Amino acid sequence: MEDDKPLTEQESLALITRMITKAKCEYEETGVSALLWGSIITFCSIASFIGQETGTAWLDYVWFLTIAAVIVQVFIAVREGRKKKYRSYDDATMSGIWISFGISMFMFSFYASNFNIPHVNVLFLIVYGIPTFATGISRHFIPMIWGGIACWLLAIAAVYTPLPYPLLYTALAAQLAWFIPGLILRKRYLKAKGRNV
Amino acid sequence: MFKELDPILHSQLRLAVMSLLISVKEAEFTFIKEKTNATAGNLSVQVQKLKEAGYIEVVKEFKDNYPNTTCHITSQGIKAFEEYVKALQEYLKVGQSK
Repeated sequence: MEDDKPLTEQESLALITRMITKAKCEYEETGVSALLWGSIITFCSIASFIGQETGTAWLDYVWFLTIAAVIVQVFIAVREGRKKKYRSYDDATMSGIWISFGISMFMFSFYASNFNIPHVNVLFLIVYGIPTFATGISRHFIPMIWGGIACWLLAIAAVYTPLPYPLLYTALAAQLAWFIPGLILRKRYLKAKGRNV
Repeated sequence: MFKELDPILHSQLRLAVMSLLISVKEAEFTFIKEKTNATAGNLSVQVQKLKEAGYIEVVKEFKDNYPNTTCHITSQGIKAFEEYVKALQEYLKVGQSK
């Protein structure tokens, strides 16, 4: 691109549009985090469900896998952050929302393990919906908006469902809120990456 | 009476840089170089001109032991860009009505 090439008004406007579009294309998320959490929560919920149905109590310890997932998540976030050559306006907001969600989930788990809370899955499903819906609205990403709504609808359904079946709702929520949107994001990211090469 | 187009912005590379920076909070020099397909030397000169006009701020620091330059648009730059686009639209409106 030359520095002082004379521009017509139409060329100026076309250049502005082109550069804004180029910057927008960079916004593509890799989808790795959504896929990670979608897989982990689905796996843990189903394993925990099988454990409760078959009386295999130790299967409940599968939830400790989420601690390992946090470590992997931190590693992914640091690696993606280093690679990123720009910062968008809502990056800090998104990080704040998801970090608050992560801390709240661990506090909820700690609270739930100390007291016998009936239908604790309902609370988890309600909280899953908050950052998912907020991300969908903020990024104009429809699959996450529906994912968030699905979490809340499943929370209502879980109230009227006998235990341990709400665990299956948790697995379904993880698929709808994170795994499927993660697949869509991944596909978009790989397509955009191929375009930019 | 037409408003004169800002000469700082009415240049291909400087306008491209400003259009990129208006879309993000901040961007590294390498990102701008990649998106504008400009040479590092040419881009440095134009970035300096934008900085001298007060339209962008340039921060030089180290990232992973390598020097890293980051740019972000200032409020003065946002205002100038908005006025430039408004002036462009006026020109185009008259052009279309002729």
